[in-house]
Amino acid sequence: MNRQTTLTINRKKYVVDLQGHETLLEVLRDHLGLTGTKSSCDDAECGACTVHINGHAMLSCITLARDVAGEEITTIEGLAQGDDLHPIQQTFLDHGAVQCGFCIPGMIMSSKALLDKNSKPSQEEMEYALDGNICRCAGYLKMFNAIREAGKIMGARPQANSEKETS
Amino acid sequence: MYLNPFTFHQPTTISEAARLLANSPHSKLVAGGSFLINNLKQLKRRGMKTPGHIISLKNIIELKGIAVDHQKLVIPSMTTIREILECPSLDDNFRILKNAAKNIATTPIRNTATIGGNLTCRYTWTEMPAVMIALEADFHFIGADNHEHTLSAENFFKNGAKTDKILSHITILRDKNAALVYARVRRSGYVDIPLLSVCLKTAFEKNSLTKTCLAINNSVEFAQRDTKLENFLNQRPIFQELPQEALDHLHEAIYNTRADDYKKYIFRVTLKNALAELIQKKPGILK
Repeated sequence: MNRQTTLTINRKKYVVDLQGHETLLEVLRDHLGLTGTKSSCDDAECGACTVHINGHAMLSCITLARDVAGEEITTIEGLAQGDDLHPIQQTFLDHGAVQCGFCIPGMIMSSKALLDKNSKPSQEEMEYALDGNICRCAGYLKMFNAIREAGKIMGARPQANSEKETS
Repeated sequence: MYLNPFTFHQPTTISEAARLLANSPHSKLVAGGSFLINNLKQLKRRGMKTPGHIISLKNIIELKGIAVDHQKLVIPSMTTIREILECPSLDDNFRILKNAAKNIATTPIRNTATIGGNLTCRYTWTEMPAVMIALEADFHFIGADNHEHTLSAENFFKNGAKTDKILSHITILRDKNAALVYARVRRSGYVDIPLLSVCLKTAFEKNSLTKTCLAINNSVEFAQRDTKLENFLNQRPIFQELPQEALDHLHEAIYNTRADDYKKYIFRVTLKNALAELIQKKPGILK
């Protein structure tokens, strides 16, 4: 069986030698050095490993890497353009929404999936979209403020919204 | 290494997947992966044996794409929970699927998990089994002989959700006259598990309930109907105290397996509220 697998991550193609049992999280961190995606609970409960697959927030710890060959995978490393942070990354900094920071890549990926569809989410919509992301520092309030602010920027700059359009 | 090694198969047709399942010893199917991958990790941590073959259903086009017409709904088994939530054409009795889907787990899980996995993973605590029984859904399976086998949802869960075949799709007939309610009791913890799922379906005839179906899933047994309560409710005139009175006619054993007093109390309150909500759906009733 051919073990060479081509993964499209952050608009770049990677050819990886995979046996089949490797999770996407394992491949991102241990094979490709993309350590922005965090490994925490490893049980699909905390959301720290959230990435986008075809624009949808998904958990890389329960995704088999071979199963997503050919899909568009986006990690936290794929959001900034050069030195320009993505509006969500910038507003998280501006609002001091980061405490220990471990959950933040997952939080930002889930926030982006929400704001790409709806740049003016209600409080309820934000809570629903981020229900799979846990912050042990309990810094949710500032995160919600940051997401609201980022939504305003993204609503005014639609080109920042789509992963495909930014390629 | 996060998982024990296995041989990974990616068939592109149902018949190929069914043949692989029949011919590969110690094999498991993977749909969305939200149950299986976690399960494989837990088995590894406990030093237990894990399957030698994993068969992915992801590349099988036949298992994708919801179809709705004026007669029925067809949900292929690889339909994700998100796709059910976002499907604009789920109306009439099909709408209850959205009510149940929106409560399932978390956003990234809803984006990954499939209806097929939810129904066939043999965990007793998933949301959809009670809904499928109330909707009188039919499950269509394909075996290694490539023939289709159809089983009602009720009979599938009566048999402990056991199958050596592949769930291909689910069909549900349209019912414009049905009123449906879905309710759940969720365990307050880090894992989102419904301790009790209840789906009630009825049709109103003059001032009474008819064709009532009450399906429950109580996290320790497979989903089933409470026929004792259904018999009490059918042809019963609707009055304000009906939900309270109905609690005296529960088939207690199927709700209270291994539940402590507090859970029993919560189950009763949930059921009473669900019944009250169902009665409110009667056209012309004062809200």
